[in-house]
Parts: sequence; C-alpha cells; structure tokens
Amino acid sequence: MSESADDGSVLFTYVAPFLGVLLVAVGIGGAVPGGYAIAQEQIGGCGEPSIAVEGPEETSQRFATSQPQLARFQFAELSPAERAAFREGLADARGEAHVEGSFPNGPAFRNGSLVTYEGERHYVTVVSENPCFQAAPLQFPLGLFAIGLGVVGILTPPLYRKLVALERSVEA
Amino acid sequence: MNRAIVEGSALAVLALTVAVVWFRARHAARPESDGGYTTREEIEFEIGRLQSEVYRWLTTTNHRDIGLLYIAFGTIAGLWGGVDAMMLRTELLTPPADIWTPETYNALFTTHGLTMLIFFVLPVFFGVGNYVLPLLIGADDMAFPRVNAIGFWLLPPALLLARMGLLVQVGGQVLSLFLPDESIQFFLTIREVSIGWTLYAPLSVQQPNPQIDLLLLGLHLSGIATTVGAINFIVTVVYERGDDVTWANLDIFSWNMLVTSGIALFAFPLLGSALVMLLLDRNLATTFFATEGGGAILWQHLFWFWGHPEVYILFLPATGLMSTILPKFVGRKLFGYQFIVYSTLGLAVLSFGVWAHHMFTTSVDPRVKASFMAISIAIAVPSAIKVFNWITTMWDGDIQLSAPFILCAGSIGTFIVGGVTGVFLAVIPIDILYHGTYYVVGHFHLIVVGIIPFMMIAASYYWYPLITGRWYDTRLAKFQSVLLIFGSVVTFMTLLIIGGVGLPRRQAIYPPEYQLAQQIATVGAYVIGLSALLWLYNMLVSYWRGAVVQTTDPWKLKATNQFTKEWQWFEERMVEKYDLEPATPDSTRRSYAPELEPMGLLGGVGSVAENVYRNASAAAAGGFVGTVLMAGGLGTAIVVDVLDPVSFGEIAEPVGLPADPLFGAALFLVGGTVTWPLLFLAFQEYLPGRYLFETGTVFATLISTGFAIAFYTGQQGLVLLGYLGFVLVAHWAYGLGLAVTFQFLQSRRRKRRRAEE
Repeated sequence: MSESADDGSVLFTYVAPFLGVLLVAVGIGGAVPGGYAIAQEQIGGCGEPSIAVEGPEETSQRFATSQPQLARFQFAELSPAERAAFREGLADARGEAHVEGSFPNGPAFRNGSLVTYEGERHYVTVVSENPCFQAAPLQFPLGLFAIGLGVVGILTPPLYRKLVALERSVEA
Repeated sequence: MNRAIVEGSALAVLALTVAVVWFRARHAARPESDGGYTTREEIEFEIGRLQSEVYRWLTTTNHRDIGLLYIAFGTIAGLWGGVDAMMLRTELLTPPADIWTPETYNALFTTHGLTMLIFFVLPVFFGVGNYVLPLLIGADDMAFPRVNAIGFWLLPPALLLARMGLLVQVGGQVLSLFLPDESIQFFLTIREVSIGWTLYAPLSVQQPNPQIDLLLLGLHLSGIATTVGAINFIVTVVYERGDDVTWANLDIFSWNMLVTSGIALFAFPLLGSALVMLLLDRNLATTFFATEGGGAILWQHLFWFWGHPEVYILFLPATGLMSTILPKFVGRKLFGYQFIVYSTLGLAVLSFGVWAHHMFTTSVDPRVKASFMAISIAIAVPSAIKVFNWITTMWDGDIQLSAPFILCAGSIGTFIVGGVTGVFLAVIPIDILYHGTYYVVGHFHLIVVGIIPFMMIAASYYWYPLITGRWYDTRLAKFQSVLLIFGSVVTFMTLLIIGGVGLPRRQAIYPPEYQLAQQIATVGAYVIGLSALLWLYNMLVSYWRGAVVQTTDPWKLKATNQFTKEWQWFEERMVEKYDLEPATPDSTRRSYAPELEPMGLLGGVGSVAENVYRNASAAAAGGFVGTVLMAGGLGTAIVVDVLDPVSFGEIAEPVGLPADPLFGAALFLVGGTVTWPLLFLAFQEYLPGRYLFETGTVFATLISTGFAIAFYTGQQGLVLLGYLGFVLVAHWAYGLGLAVTFQFLQSRRRKRRRAEE
C-alpha cells in the first residue's frame, strides 16, 4: 500500500480537515485568553503591580559609581499597601511582591526609587504591571465552539469513509 | 497566568494523551485470543515483559536501538520546546503583557530557543544518523557502540539540568501548599532562565537566578554528549565502510553526517570552555566577561564561534536528508553529487568564518566587520548550489506526490526565502536596521523550521516502513505535511513583514497597530502545533494499526535503480524473517533522464558545453531575425506617431547609459537577440501550442504585455489603441521570426547529421 492517488473526495479528505485545523487554531486563540479573562478574578494578582526590592548591599553597589536623580522616600511615607509589599519583597526569596491596594507612589516606583527602611537604603522598582486581561464576554464560548467545530472538521475524513462504507453495505 | 502550572499541566496532559493513544492502539491491535478478560497470569507476564524491555532499552548498544532512543528523546524535547513556543505566541495575542508577565515571556523565548536547538534538533539527527548511517555504508554497527550509548545517556540528565527551573517551580508551588515558605526557599528562588538563549554577558553573569548555573552545567553535559557522538560518526564513516563503499560513492546523507560531526568536533569544545568561563565568572568572581578586567564582547565572540557553526550542524543533516529523499520521489538521480559534496565541505569551512555577523551592531572594528560581511555573503553560494541541484534533480522528473515529496518541495521554497532574507542580513547597513527585529526571527525560523523539522518528518515517513514494517496513514501524512508548510509560511512570513517595518523582537509588550499581524502569526503557530500533534498521532497509532508492508521494495525504488543500501538490508531482513519474494519491478530505467540521454532544449544530444553552444547560437540567430522583423513594426508605429521614441531612451538609463533613443534601441536589439530567445528556449516546453510557431506566438503575446507597460508614454484614446495594436503585431512578428529560424536551423542540423551517417 504505497502512496497512491486517493480514491474519494478531495473536499472531505483534505479541504474539510484543513478548514477544521484553521478553526481549531483560531478557536484556541480566542478561547484561551477568553477563558483566562473569566478565571483571572479567581486566580487573583491582576491589576496589582509587582515591585522588586533590592537589599542594601546591592543598592550601594548599583549606585557606587553614579547617582541618578531618583525619588527618595522614608518607609513611613509609603501607603499601607506599599509598605506591606515592601516588607513582603524584603522577605521574598526573589525580592518581589505584589502591591495589593492603593499605590500613590506608583509613577515614582516605575522610574525606580530609593526607600530608606531601618536606616538602610533599598532600591525599589516596578518589574511588572500585571494588567487585568480584558476580553469580550463571547470570546470564550465562541472560541470553544470554533474548537468543537474544527475537531469535527478534522475528523471528517474517517467519518466520510465510514458513511461511504455504510452506504455501500446497504446497497450491497 | 501561572506559567509553571500551565506548562506543567500542558506537558502532563500531552504525556498522558500519548500514553492513552499508544495503549489503546496496541490493545485494539491485539485483542485477547479468546475474546475474554485478561487473567492474573497474563498481567504478571506483562509486567515481567515490561521489566525485561526496560532493562533492554537501558543497556542496549545496538545502533538502531540507540537511534530510536535519540529520536524519542528529541521528540520529547521538541514537544517541550513547542509548548514554550505556543505559550509565548499566546502572550503575543494582545499588545500588553496581560497573559504572562514580561519576565515569564522572556523565560519562554529563552527556554524555547535552547530546548529546540540543543535538545531537539541535534538528538533527532544523531538518532536518524545512528539508525540509517551504518546501514547506508554497509557497517555492522557504529565504531564504538558503548561510547554511542554513553553519548545518548548523557542527554536526559543534561535536559533535566537545563530545564530544571520549570520542574522546581512546579515542585515549589505544590510544596508551598503544605510547607512554610522559609523551609522551601530553594524551590521559591529558582525559576526558568530569562536572559535570552544567547546568554549574553554581563546580564548572564550578574543575574542571581541559580538556575543559570544549572543550565550552564546542562549545556556543558550536552556538549560532551555531542562531541562523543561526533567522534563516533567520524570514525564510523572513515573506518567501518563496506568494501564496495568508497569516498566517491559514499551516499550523500553519510557525507553530511561526517561533515556535521567534523564541525561539531571543532565547535562544541569551544562552547564548553566558554560555559566554564561563565560559570567561573558567576561563582568564583573571575572577570572573563566583566566590563573591567575582561570584556562582555568576548562572550559574544566565543559564543558565536560555536553558535554559527551550530546553525550548520543543525542544517547540514537536513540537506543530507533532502538530497537522499528527494531523488527517490522524482525518479531521478541526485543532480551534481560532487557539487553537493563540495558545497557541504565549503559550508563547513565557511561556517567558522562568519560568527561576527551576529555582532554587526557591536563595537567590533568596522574593517573586521567588513571581512565578516564578505564571507557571510559568500556562504550563500554553497547553499544556493544545493538549491539549484535539488531543483535540477526535480526538473522533468516523474513526480510522486507523497508526503515526503510534499515536505521536500515545501522545504526548498521556505529555505529559499529564509536564505535570501539572510543575504540581506549579511550586509552591515541593512543588518544595523534589522538587528533585533522580528525580521531576524522570521529569517532564521524559515530555515530552522522551514527545512530542519520538515526533513525530519519527511525522513520519518520515508523510513517508517523500514523501521516498523508497517505503513503510516498516507492521507493523514499528506494532509499533515501541507498543514505544516502552510502554518510555517503564514507564521514566519508575517514575522518577516512586521520585522521589516521595524517591530523589535523579544518584547512582551508591543504597539497595538501590530496586533492583527501578531494574531495571524499566532494562529499560524497553532497550526504548526496541531500539525506536529497529527504527525505524532500518525507515528504512534500506525505502529500498531498501519497496513503491514507486503513487499521488499515499498517505495518502488528498483524501477529507477535507486534501491539503496538501507533498503537492500530491509529486503534481506524481509526475506529472512517472512520468506518474502524480493520485489521485481515491471520495468526499470536509468534514474537520471526518462529519455536516457541529456537532451538539448532544441533536441539533439551531446555534452553540456555542446548543448549550451548550440542553444546560444540558435537563440542569437533567431533573436536577431525576430528583432529585425519587430523593428519594422515598431518603426511604423513611430512613423504614425503612436509610439514615442523617447521611451527607448528611458530604458537605457537603468543600465547606466545616457538617456538617448539610439542607445536604447541598441540595448533593445541586444535584449531581443540574447535574453528573450534564451527565455523562450527555456519555457517553450511549458507554453501552449502544438507547433513551435504557435508556441512562439504565445510567447510573443505574453512578453508584449511587458513591453506595452514599459514603453507607455501616456497615450490616450485611439492613439492608445494603435499603440497596443502595433506592439502586439510587432511582437507576433518577433515570435514567428524566432520560431521559424529555430525550425530552419534544426532542420539544417538534422540534414547534416543524416549526411554524416
């Protein structure tokens, strides 16, 4: 059984599954982000920028040779959410934490800023905005529908062959 | 979204699906003999059988087993790297970084690159080489079977070391549900490397992520594995060839594996050294790549001195497969075997002389850069030789539209686009514009996707009957091949375009005006992913349910005298095991020309030089006669004032001549005498018309459209109608003059030959 010309319908053997694959691909592109938009409220963390807090040694190393113009804060000047995130960042293994709540010093943190805490300077900056993903409400269901329809398209060739066999057996 | 959980889950689902598909297919293929339930004894027997199988595969030194292990490993790594690719393309569906964080996106493209280049491509090609190379050269096994096994078994730990970040992240997140964070600091600190696969200093030195150190160790281990494998291939080809296999008739895939191994032998030890230096910089405060005391650019030099040859290490086996597989499906011997061998050797040498073209935007001395630019442009020549030889192999062949052929043809197309866009990047001023844009991503993906996996899959289809004794689902294979080509073209052409207009690569956040293009590229990438899954399904299920091969010559290669050594081995095996009769074809013919003799375009036989001389002289004579006849028509058009002679002056300008109608007319005469007649000779076979004069008229009509546009000087109304009429008639005169002169010269030559006989 080497590769020979296909007996049967080109439409149902090649065209239908090709369109099916395209539908599945587009469907994944719609359903995955659409589903994520619905699920992210449960997952949490969206809309809460991540800040990175550097230790005093790293901070002094960073500014050993240059002194850029940065905003400077005392720890007490920060909002409660910023303070909590700062402490969490200091304790975190990777030095990162989410700011959960009001973030009035956000613009200064985005440019990088120096926070003095317990007499030591720490370089703090926003490393990720974590914006909330916005999607149309229909994106997820339509994406799923496209994937389903696409799968039907991909499975068309064996279905077609089965139907042909059925009809031939009835005729026989 | 949480990358570790998503990717871990995706890989787990994929593994589970593969296992379910495999066991279901196997179960369906082997029902219980009595149709009843499986008994306890049978389960115990099955477990015992599994144990012995595991032991066999862990301890095997047989080249075919190790080849399959390599291929399986490479496939797993490829799927892992592919999941990375799908995830990073998902991020790019939207302009902001609102699906993954920028750091996660950086990690995705880093791990995608490393996994695909180091752990997918090379192991798969070493696997293919391991399986078929000894068969192709008539060897019993590789030169060092146990070293071969070691070379493979170094790879799984290397992959685990390199990709441990993901495993540790998943582990950490699971553990954090049960344990306090303080006790699992290690798991919470390590994360996938996010500094780009090129690991540029100083970022790679300064970033504190411990996973970078593990990655460097993993890469070093894989380098050792590759070097060991390369030595084995070299020694096998040099010392283990059968008596009838000489350097002059060594098959082209073995040549490519030999040259690839040679490159690896020179390149990989250097990568090892550079990795050790980076490890020392990170952990022992040496200053190889520090800005003070060393130099960050040194890393780039060392890295790319390995990195660019590495590109050819990945690419050359694919060309070897193309040169091996393509002739079988066009019924013609590979055209220009020697030139293909020389081009392979040329690429190997030149590949070590182009590394700094990755560094055109650095502070390297411009004069040094210029020399790299020259070699980078020159390296296109051997690649082009291969392409021309493949096309010539196909020319006038007896095309068999199978999945391997579809992939070969698709590869040539995508490789041409990938290669030509690379020539632009080899030019410093253009590279400075396009460096770090999606244009570069599009360019290299058209090669690393557009020929490498294409050829792997083509080889998997071509040798599937040989390896398994069964046929794969041929319809699904053709469909999958078309899908893979379609997805690749859509994705990477889109990237070329958005890079061409300047979108930087390696950015999670991009301007909203690029969103549609990025979405198109992402959908194309999903199509590639789906086609890969269809291939995997076909391979797994066909192993159990494919039609059994009932002949010793599954591809009917004997008919064109291309029944190569590996298939001879297959035939012997089939005769021994199943007592099959060796296949005998209905008819055989030589494999380089259906007519058995190279034909000149105007008929006649003889050497290439004789044919070229005959064609060129006939073309010049016919072209001159045609152009003179045409001049009558065009002259009349000038006299009746429907054609402006100034337009002849305009065609002289682009070739650097003064805009004078006389110069233009002379140029026109040269073109009509030289260029168009040769084009006519080349294409006449494919133009409609039963007789040569009909074909000539069709050809003339086609080229008249170009003339009408080129010489148009704003004619309106009736003048335009007259202009078009005269142009058409003058061209018909040209075509008829051309064709009739050819016929006259041919009949004269025939008469002369008869007189000589």
